[in-house]
Amino acid sequence: DDKWLEAHYDPVSSLYTFTQCITMSDINADGDHKLIIADLGTGSYDMKLKVYKGTSLMTENAIIDLPTGVVTFYMDTNEPHTPAIAVASGPFIYVYKNLRPYFKFTLPTLSVNPVEQDLWDQVKEDRIDVMSLREMLDGLRCEGATLTVRSMRFLQLQSHDLEPFASLHKHAPLKRQTVITCLATMKKSMAEEDAISCLILGTESSHIYVLDPEAFTVLATMDLPSVPVFMSVSGLFDVEFRIVVACRNGGIYNFKRGVKEGKTVFELNSQPVGLERLGKNIIVGCMDRTLQCYTSKGKKLWSVAVPADITTIQMMDHQQKGFKAILVALANSEVHIYRDKYLCNVMKTPDVITGMKFGRFGREEASLIMTTKGGGLVIRILKRTAKFEEKDISAGPPSSQNQKLNVPKKTKLFVDQTMRERENAVSMHRQFQHDLYRLRLETARNYVKALDRSMNPISTNPQEPLKLAAQVQGLGPIFKLTVNLQNTSMTVPSLDLIITFQYDNTLYKFNKSIIQTPMLVPGLNYSFEALVECLSDKGISDTVKVFVLKKNRSVPIIAAIINMPISEAMVVV
Amino acid sequence: MDPLFLAYSYFRRRKYEQCVELCSQLLDKNPYDQAAWSLKTRALTEQVYIDEVDVDEEGIAELIMDDNSIAQVARPGTSLKVPGTGQGAPSQGVRPMSQSGRPLTGFVRPGTQSTRPGTMEQAIRTPRTAHTARPVTSASGRYVRLGTASMLSSPDGPFINLARLNMPKYSARPNLAKSLFEYIFHHENDVRNALDLASGATEACQFQDWWWKVQLGKCYYRLGMYRDAEKQFKSALKQQDMVDTYLYLCKVYVRLDQPLTAVEVYKQGLQRFIGEASLLTGIARVYEGMNDMSNTVQFYKDVLHQDNMSIEAIACIGTHYFYTDQPEIALKFYRRLLQMGVYNTELFNNLGLCCFYAQQYDMTLTCFERALSLASDDNMSDVWYNIGHVALGIGDLTLAYQSFRLALASNNDHAEAYNNLGVLEMKKGRLEMSRAFFQAAFNLAPHMYEPHYNFASMSDKVGDLQSSFNAARRASDAFSDHMDSKQLLSSLRKHFAML
Repeated sequence: DDKWLEAHYDPVSSLYTFTQCITMSDINADGDHKLIIADLGTGSYDMKLKVYKGTSLMTENAIIDLPTGVVTFYMDTNEPHTPAIAVASGPFIYVYKNLRPYFKFTLPTLSVNPVEQDLWDQVKEDRIDVMSLREMLDGLRCEGATLTVRSMRFLQLQSHDLEPFASLHKHAPLKRQTVITCLATMKKSMAEEDAISCLILGTESSHIYVLDPEAFTVLATMDLPSVPVFMSVSGLFDVEFRIVVACRNGGIYNFKRGVKEGKTVFELNSQPVGLERLGKNIIVGCMDRTLQCYTSKGKKLWSVAVPADITTIQMMDHQQKGFKAILVALANSEVHIYRDKYLCNVMKTPDVITGMKFGRFGREEASLIMTTKGGGLVIRILKRTAKFEEKDISAGPPSSQNQKLNVPKKTKLFVDQTMRERENAVSMHRQFQHDLYRLRLETARNYVKALDRSMNPISTNPQEPLKLAAQVQGLGPIFKLTVNLQNTSMTVPSLDLIITFQYDNTLYKFNKSIIQTPMLVPGLNYSFEALVECLSDKGISDTVKVFVLKKNRSVPIIAAIINMPISEAMVVV
Repeated sequence: MDPLFLAYSYFRRRKYEQCVELCSQLLDKNPYDQAAWSLKTRALTEQVYIDEVDVDEEGIAELIMDDNSIAQVARPGTSLKVPGTGQGAPSQGVRPMSQSGRPLTGFVRPGTQSTRPGTMEQAIRTPRTAHTARPVTSASGRYVRLGTASMLSSPDGPFINLARLNMPKYSARPNLAKSLFEYIFHHENDVRNALDLASGATEACQFQDWWWKVQLGKCYYRLGMYRDAEKQFKSALKQQDMVDTYLYLCKVYVRLDQPLTAVEVYKQGLQRFIGEASLLTGIARVYEGMNDMSNTVQFYKDVLHQDNMSIEAIACIGTHYFYTDQPEIALKFYRRLLQMGVYNTELFNNLGLCCFYAQQYDMTLTCFERALSLASDDNMSDVWYNIGHVALGIGDLTLAYQSFRLALASNNDHAEAYNNLGVLEMKKGRLEMSRAFFQAAFNLAPHMYEPHYNFASMSDKVGDLQSSFNAARRASDAFSDHMDSKQLLSSLRKHFAML
């Protein structure tokens, strides 16, 4: 690779994280940017906030719930001027200062359904038993009311767990809380690099909150029609700002200062997997393997197809060179770099990338941090000599267009035979037709014979549409005979069927000579098994016939012949 | 006449039964008659002897518990386990693949049926075209079975009781040891005792006799000690160049999954024995195993230069021409086989197909009729299946339907026939029936891509997108370059990603 330096690769750093949970910041104000990663652990426990100095782990802090986002922001102007780390996790924001827990912000609670509140009040006074409580709550849920976490959990429980659960929780006040889905920052009143910033949170209850960095009060609340998943923020809170939000319904919404309800910019035709803003353009990576670009007014500019599923996208903003591009990580272990709609570099990675961040790391201006699906950490540095071509490297006609098709030449023999065919066309045709009639007759005779003997694995009787497939497995002396029976009709079930076998009883022994089948539902495959023991050690084999019979009928419906394999002699080990 | 002389005469005229009888009479009179004893062992051996070079069937134990493999993911073109992309060979869509991912061979040999199964279930399932189960290990199985014929014919116990044999005594006697070894190895199949005898004998002649080294190598090969076998064969080759030894050494390399080394050794052998057909055949077989069709055909042609009666070479070249769209040349090769006296179902079946595709219609159906009249239970279904194909070619769907049904009647595991019946039922609009046929086909032969794809496109049409997606995935696993499956998959992906 002539553009990237491989700085570090640890395939077993056991990181399980995504783009939203990676950030880089100078948290000690010593000019050395640290890497801050919220690790999702196993997904249920072992969640940690990890801080790397260089490539070595500096500190680790445990997090109670799954982290959904990590940002750093300046909350005051005190000296030394160090930023704080905010970790969104469940309904809380944990703020760390100097790598020590500093503050915990809890999302405002939502209004509880009055009926539900009333129900739990009754539980507190023991006026209602748990079974009827469950029935009432279930009714509420079916009507479409949003319940609290406690009620939802209660509905999931087995009936014998209900009583302990209710008595444990009934005295605590009933609260309805939501969780944070995405997290971002916005400068408050000054645009400097180290100015004070507000926190912007998107929640599962389809709200966006703006938090004051000093008092941790809600400065503004905004409403969305769906749950926000990705946010892109620009501007100053006190002056003018834009928040572009991608939601789970595939809509992209825009907020300005002073607006309570988001304005629809455009709607996607596939789920978004990443959102970035480059200047005035919004770039979205979608689940249908496309990267799409829209203006802030919602006009589609371009859309490019990428060769594999997109796992994450990230903006690459190289300020010194004034180079802005979009990094797209793909499920085929590649990272593509798009400048506008032109692919200008393809980077191979050792594993599928799930999270990446471009920015200043350590003292290096242009570093790319990537975490892999298998838990690895990759750090690459952009070479100072690297130049990205303006042109699209995938342009031009595909190379396969120049390949010649391998069409075999017609041989002289073929030409001679064609000549023969041309000269004797009439007699050849007559001969062929004559043979064809004879073959048809022969085939029809054999077919009738097969039908008469029911020697056919598929029934021809329209009343009993059945298909039989039998298989022998094993080495011997004991084989397993699997009979697969399928009712091939659309609607009619098959009843009263019996499977039986015909064999040489001096050579084979079956563990059951008859298998009664249950009712066969149309379209399903039923398999029945029988064990066959070969009684001879002389290395001979025979055929076994499988019949499917119907009660009160002398002729089998279908039958199959199985050529038994030669049995292996007993191996003494 | 001197009875011993008569016995020798019988032996030379390959009348082994009479020879054994005479020797037994001689031994009854004088149990210490070494000449008679030695002749009897040789006669008994000859009765059950098969060429050790060609017998090569990998047992389940060798396949599943292969402890000699070094790289699990070998580079394509260097391993028999990962067949290459097929140089000079038509794609899977034209020439069908066997279960192991190799094109169907023109000549059935041990080991061409279905090597290297992916799972245990595939390993124990009896292959459709080989009506015997796979042996458990190569130390038993076939070999014991071949020996059973002689076990039946000696009611008063075995001729030589191996447990009571004084091995060191015999190994010191070169005149008796060789015939005794062959008896133990081929007739009794007791590789351990044979190894004891051989190691004693090679020590007794101060490691100077190459013959014993080859026998030691054979024993080690049977026991699965390939590296020791390789050492013995190489040491034997240093003393004496023999074609057999080269062939055994290459067998070892093939088993060690080093096809390129095997080819190298074959070529060394060819430098000593210029134009030796068995060595050339060996190279062609290795290349066929690696899917390298252009080299395979080249070497089979070399074989024909040396030995123009080689059935294997003619059949393989014929098959290659048939599948590379030159049936008229294939027809010439098969006619050559017919002239040489090969007269069986398979040949007439192939002749019929070649005639049909080379537009020699007056001879097509006669060939199939002949094939049908010669067919046994084993290959009857394949003849009917091919008649069905001809019927499809002339557009007679009733005849095709009946032929495929007859193929199933004589062999109910015929997955290809199930697949084609499914297509015919789909044409008739009986979707439930055709779904059942496709399911049966891909359960029987998961390595075939056709039933998977047919099932996918049918499910796509009736709106069962989930099964369609899964089946299309399986189809493109079985045949990664299949464009139709890829297109179906991409359209389904688009559909799933749409809001």
